[in-house]
Amino acid sequence: MNREHLRGLFSAKSARVDTNRGEEYYNSLFERCKKRVEELKRLEPVNGVDIMEVLEDEGVSRRDFLKWASAMTATLMLPASFTPLVAEAAEVMNRVPVIWLELQDCAGNTEALIRSDGPKVDELILDIISFEFNETLMTAAGHQAEEQLEDAMHHFKGKYLLFVEGAIPVGAGKEWCTIGASGETFEEHLHRVAKDAAAIVAVGTCATFGGVPAAAPNPTGAVGVMDIVKGKPIVNIPACPANPANMVGVILHYVLTGQIPELDSLLRPKFAFGYRIHDNCERRAHFDAGEFVEEWGDEGAQNNFCLYKVGCKGPMTFNNCSIIRYNESVNWPIGAGHGCIGCSEPDFWDKYAYERPMADANIKAPTGGVEKSVDEFGLGLLSAAAVGIGIHAAISAFAGKKDEGDE
Amino acid sequence: MRVDILQKIEGEAFLRYRFKKGRIEHVKIEFPHYRGVEEIMRGRPAEDAVAIAPRVCGICGHSHLIAAAEALENAAGVTPPLKARYIRNVTLGCELIQNHIKWLYLVILPLLKRMGFREVPFFEAIDKSATAGKIIAIFGGQYPHTSYAVLGGVCSDPTLLEIQKAKLFAKEIEDFFHSEVMEEIERFSEFKDSRGILKEIYIFLKHKELLDIGRAHDRFLNLREGTKILGLKRVSAKLRYVSTAPSGIGYAKNALYKGKYFEVGPLARRIHTPFVKDLHRRYKDGLFTRIAARVYEIKILLSQLKETLKKIEPQGDSFVKTDSLAEGTGEAVVEAPRGSLIHRVKIKKGKIERYEIITPTQFNLSNGTSLNPGPAQKAVIGLRDRSEAELVFRSFDICSVCTTH
Repeated sequence: MNREHLRGLFSAKSARVDTNRGEEYYNSLFERCKKRVEELKRLEPVNGVDIMEVLEDEGVSRRDFLKWASAMTATLMLPASFTPLVAEAAEVMNRVPVIWLELQDCAGNTEALIRSDGPKVDELILDIISFEFNETLMTAAGHQAEEQLEDAMHHFKGKYLLFVEGAIPVGAGKEWCTIGASGETFEEHLHRVAKDAAAIVAVGTCATFGGVPAAAPNPTGAVGVMDIVKGKPIVNIPACPANPANMVGVILHYVLTGQIPELDSLLRPKFAFGYRIHDNCERRAHFDAGEFVEEWGDEGAQNNFCLYKVGCKGPMTFNNCSIIRYNESVNWPIGAGHGCIGCSEPDFWDKYAYERPMADANIKAPTGGVEKSVDEFGLGLLSAAAVGIGIHAAISAFAGKKDEGDE
Repeated sequence: MRVDILQKIEGEAFLRYRFKKGRIEHVKIEFPHYRGVEEIMRGRPAEDAVAIAPRVCGICGHSHLIAAAEALENAAGVTPPLKARYIRNVTLGCELIQNHIKWLYLVILPLLKRMGFREVPFFEAIDKSATAGKIIAIFGGQYPHTSYAVLGGVCSDPTLLEIQKAKLFAKEIEDFFHSEVMEEIERFSEFKDSRGILKEIYIFLKHKELLDIGRAHDRFLNLREGTKILGLKRVSAKLRYVSTAPSGIGYAKNALYKGKYFEVGPLARRIHTPFVKDLHRRYKDGLFTRIAARVYEIKILLSQLKETLKKIEPQGDSFVKTDSLAEGTGEAVVEAPRGSLIHRVKIKKGKIERYEIITPTQFNLSNGTSLNPGPAQKAVIGLRDRSEAELVFRSFDICSVCTTH
């Protein structure tokens, strides 16, 4: 375990995200967004609802709303000066029609969305951003719902954002899952609705990478949206469930800029998946100090030590849970003393979702890293304090002010 | 033959009605989705069950987590420490609470509205259901898809501050429930001198003469408690008599007890309380009794939640070590939002050789024959109106995702 190895691990290019692109960039972005929001303001809201009115009726104060907007601005990695603009964008969010499809899934993402983040944002989601068609949420059901979907597709042709939750079975078992009275398979259904979408947002690990239905032996031949839909902009928001803040973030970004956010190689928005759980983990200091939970309930567990040795996959998992957290930021898995199971990574169900550290797993981390025996790793750190400093140096290199200008 | 599609049940179900002289004679229930979770479990190290199981269902995933953990504990022959059991009770109770609130406001009230009931705003209710999710998050890290229960206990160790926070959240839900849904009453007495949504529903259904439609077999199972209830008589029930059989249509299997169909869920769990007993005396296992039992269960769960939160002491173990889990079989039953949920596991050389999940909706929505119908099927036979039939179906709080798993 040498210093260069660690440096390579923690400053891998895939993990780099630009948090500061310079004044010029943001000024021109601001102007562009402003223009876009002005244009949207002139459009009729999809559902004829005035967002601010609804918020007021529901007792959300202007202050609460701005608080939410500033949190969202930070999530989208925009400077604080964008906050009023983000607020304005949120007010016109229902100019962008959103259709939501639920395929081979457990409805967990919809669930996560209903108890979404921030003050009263669940209302924002449920009522204000017009989810034109969601099989779990909408009041209409059955045949009526099918008509509603047809209507929405026709009326907003080429304009709607299509949110997909759930995997698509394409194996020998694709007849396993059909939808509606016509008996259309999920695959046919998705292709039909995707055809006229402006962009597709795959929500949750099932829709992005196949998820639990695709776990070995993948009985139904489940795949993710990007495996079968081609020629459309696709944004992946993996995790099980996907963090509602990131779902709202993608919509907001689209409203604000008219474009989908900057993506990494797995089509994940960089604002959310630009760094590892490990990089911003509240227990990180214990990792660096070589203090680990050895087994559940031990002294280390009581003192919130690092969970790496009881199977935490934080060092291999890209997501912003450690910052955004869950359930209105009440907590997150590591906060409750359970290691990350890597639920936003491809193949997490086969590679990561277990209670053993990577050291015993005989598989490589995507970054090439920490799969060495953790004892060695911890000891190495203990015996060479300089290494820990090296890690921090590497981290500040990519989390800091460096701008390499590749957009 | 009329085909209805039941959506908004986290997945889909087809209802194929057969009418005779304007009345429903029989209905076939088909669940058209399948994922194959039991197959996926096979061959994995036993402990991994707790990571995969909660993902069977995004609606009641926590019940699956607890069932998986308890099935493993049963196989290993360990009992988690008291503190861990308390914490699990808290989070499990909260899952039921948030589910029932959402069911009432997002499923039942909109359906009633279509039949002429007033429009009820649901924002506050959903906010409170989310608050129950926050309590789970305090102990379990997140909700849905919590993975904090492990073989031998739980991995969280709440501080006094966290427990206090949970108590405050619980109070918030309780205040809402008693001011909006139903006041704190112990007996039915036609809601005399009391108010709330449940009373309004009662008056509405009474006016429409729908209070006692939707009667099923009047046979119930509460497998966690180990009882079956026939009429109102409680006798002991054993898990080993639960079996499944192909439903002949779709991908869900029917669940039976000693070869018979039984109803599971809040009505089965709460039928012995004075309030539900009063209702049962008047309306048997009809529509309103079933709806009211689920709503009333929120009240019971909220007071249990308060009590259990008081009992959790920050000191004390939340985990007990298990030596190894190489061979063995285990089973567990958890009272999930919709009723008794069973997990069975067979472990060989540390790997899962067989995993079986039987969900409550498999009991309630068994697809029987017209001579021997399942509980929900029986409940709609004889009805004239399909929207009434849908209301009866949904009074069982059906869920397709985990039914087909």
